Parts: sequence; C-alpha cells; structure tokens
Amino acid sequence: MNVNETISVIQIRNVLLVTMPADPDDSTIAALQERTLEAMNNRDVQGLVLDLSKVEILDSYFARTVAETAQMVGLMGGTTIIAGMRPAVAITATELGVTLGRTRTVMTVERALELAGQRQVNGKQQR
Amino acid sequence: MVSTVETAPAKRRDGGQTSTPEVSQEMLQILVDNIQEYAILTLDPEGRVTTWAPAAERLKGYKAGEIIGKHFSVFYTREDQESGKCQRELEAAARDGRFEDEGWRVRKDGSRFWANVVITALRDPKGNLKGFGKITRDMTERKQADERLRQQNRDVLEMATVPVVQVWEGILLVPLIGMLDSSRTQQLMERLLHRLTETSSQVALVDITGVPTIDTQTAQHLIETIKAVRYIGAEVVLTGVRPVIAQTLVHLGIDLSNATTRASLAAGLRVAFNLLNLRVGAADAAGRTELA
Repeated sequence: MNVNETISVIQIRNVLLVTMPADPDDSTIAALQERTLEAMNNRDVQGLVLDLSKVEILDSYFARTVAETAQMVGLMGGTTIIAGMRPAVAITATELGVTLGRTRTVMTVERALELAGQRQVNGKQQR
Repeated sequence: MVSTVETAPAKRRDGGQTSTPEVSQEMLQILVDNIQEYAILTLDPEGRVTTWAPAAERLKGYKAGEIIGKHFSVFYTREDQESGKCQRELEAAARDGRFEDEGWRVRKDGSRFWANVVITALRDPKGNLKGFGKITRDMTERKQADERLRQQNRDVLEMATVPVVQVWEGILLVPLIGMLDSSRTQQLMERLLHRLTETSSQVALVDITGVPTIDTQTAQHLIETIKAVRYIGAEVVLTGVRPVIAQTLVHLGIDLSNATTRASLAAGLRVAFNLLNLRVGAADAAGRTELA
C-alpha cells in the first residue's frame, strides 16, 4: 500500500487540511506527522485542520501521534483544529487518557475551516 | 385420529351416550377440518405424517397428498434438523405423554413462522404407542407484539436512566436524577455523544440537581464525559452544582476547573446561549421572544 495515497493533504488558502483513512496502520500514522510538518514548513500555511471523521478505530500510538503533531504544529507557529471525531473514537481517547491541551475540536470540517478563517481575519486585524 | 376413533366406542358404552360412533366421528372430523388457527395432524410412531387437516395446509403450505408419508422434520429449520430436535421431541412426548415447545418452524415456501407446538403420544388401551398427535399454532403476531413491547420497555428504561432532550437548536439537556453509578455514567457518555452528533448540537447541559451525592468515581466519570464531548467538538455545561456538591467536589480534590459549571440550570442555559451567540430579549407586547 502506498502510504502517500491514503492520507490526503490539501491546502485551502492558508489552511492545511489533512484527512485520515478509516483504519490507518502505523506507517500511515507516522506519515501523517512527517507530511504535515513538511507541508507546514514548505507552504504558506498558518493552521492545520485534521479531519478524523472517517476514523473508526483509535489506538494509543495513533492518539499519541495526533496529540504530538498538534503540539509540534504549535511550536512551528500554527494552530490545530481536530474535526469530526466520532463518539466511539472520543470514548477510546478518554480511556487512553489522551490530552489534547489547547487544541480546538469541532464536529465538521466545514466548521473547522470557518474557525480557521476567522482566526486569520483576527490575526490580520491585530497586525 | 386413528387411536381416538378406536377408543371412542368403549367410552360411549360406559358413559351411555346417545350419539352413535358414526355421528361422533363425523363431528370430530368437522371440528378438525374447520378449526382455523390450529394445524392438527397425526404422525406414526416414527414421525411420518399420517393425517393432514385443511388448517395444516393453510399454515404450512403443503397439500395432504404431498406431505402424508413424509417425515415431520421438514417443518423444522435446518439447524433444528441437524441437532436432532425433532427426534428428541418425539422421545419426550412418548416418555411423558405430552411435549410442548415454542420456536421457529418452516413453511413449504421456506418462510419461517413462530409456532407453539404440542405433541401428544397416542396410545391404545393396552398402552402400545400408535403414533402422535401434533397441534401447531402460528404465534408470529403475538411474538412480534411481545418483541415490540420489550423494545418499548427498553426504550423507556433507557430514557429514564439517561434522558437526553433537545431544548433548543444546538442545545441538549440531560437532567440526571438519582445516584450515578459506573454503568449509568457509561450509558450517559455513549448516549450523549451519539445524540450530540445526531442533532449536530454544540452544547450539552448536564444537570445534576437531582443527584444526591457525588463520589470520586462518579466525578471521574463526569470528567471523562466532559472530555469526550469536547473531543467530538461540543461543550458540556455542568449545572445544578448545589452547595453540598461543590463542597464535596473540593474536599475530594476533584479538579473541574476545565469544565464550565453553574449552580442553576437557568444560569447554564445562559452560558449555552452565549456559546451559540444567541441573544434572548424580553418578550414584547405580543408575547414574542426576540432571538438574534
């Protein structure tokens, strides 16, 4: 399986939208972090929207990678919004003791992009 | 009806009844032929069909000519045939005189119906086994009614355990009453998360006014629920935190500083409106409430 085909990383204006497949294996999860950070570095993006709406199973490695990636994106000056986490995945996440810190979570990608857009507008006004 | 007919004359002599054997037998035949709800048939001692009433044809789909002489296992599901259920039923009827069962049976066209079956051993006056009488009743409708009732009971019970009601577009209310144990808080988490995603609601008001006390475990469950709700992109406002509950939470060292908590449901509702950027104005003369 070609890992690069299973994660979709697209740029919408200044936001990076990363969509995870339903049941990602470890190499896909590792690629998630690699490709996200690479894109944060190479492209003119300020935020990351991580779309988990397809994800059905969460294991501790996946959960940790998501939390860590959000932290790393933060260090690189970006904000992360997690979108579409399913109830079953959310329950597993609490059982695994995942801490997402200040990462925003929303129900849909649409809402995430809305929020990301607002932040950019606010940011420009401040400057 | 072989044995009945054979033993009938003896009874009649003793009882001094006026009807002749012919009339009695005819009446019995009319009864068997006209009963609608019951499929009445007889089997020989090995389980092959020997008589077949019209109601049996209506219920099971076989005509008398097709089924007489066939083994009665054709009425059973494949699993029951393979497990030897039919043979066990005959043995039980022969041993105890009577056997009753409820279960799935199969019609000629392969469709299933839920049947009540009574198998009676038919013995001559000397006690020799002549065969079996089998009465089958289609109970599918009653079974379905039972299932519906059971489902309704489950729904009511679930609703009573963890009621989740939508009070506004985007706002769900969970009024909890009574003690919270682990299984109930687990149900709360699952039901609340599903209802939130179903209704795309962003705020859940969890009201604990009716919860008498809270212990460390319950509080931990509530904290997990608050976290899980946040993960799916919604927010919990914990309302009904009475003085005694507030004291208990602090004394137990439970940190709810990440959660929004309010003393009353009314205050919680205001928080919810604020989160959704809704503004509630005073009602005007016409009684309308302004919402922006």
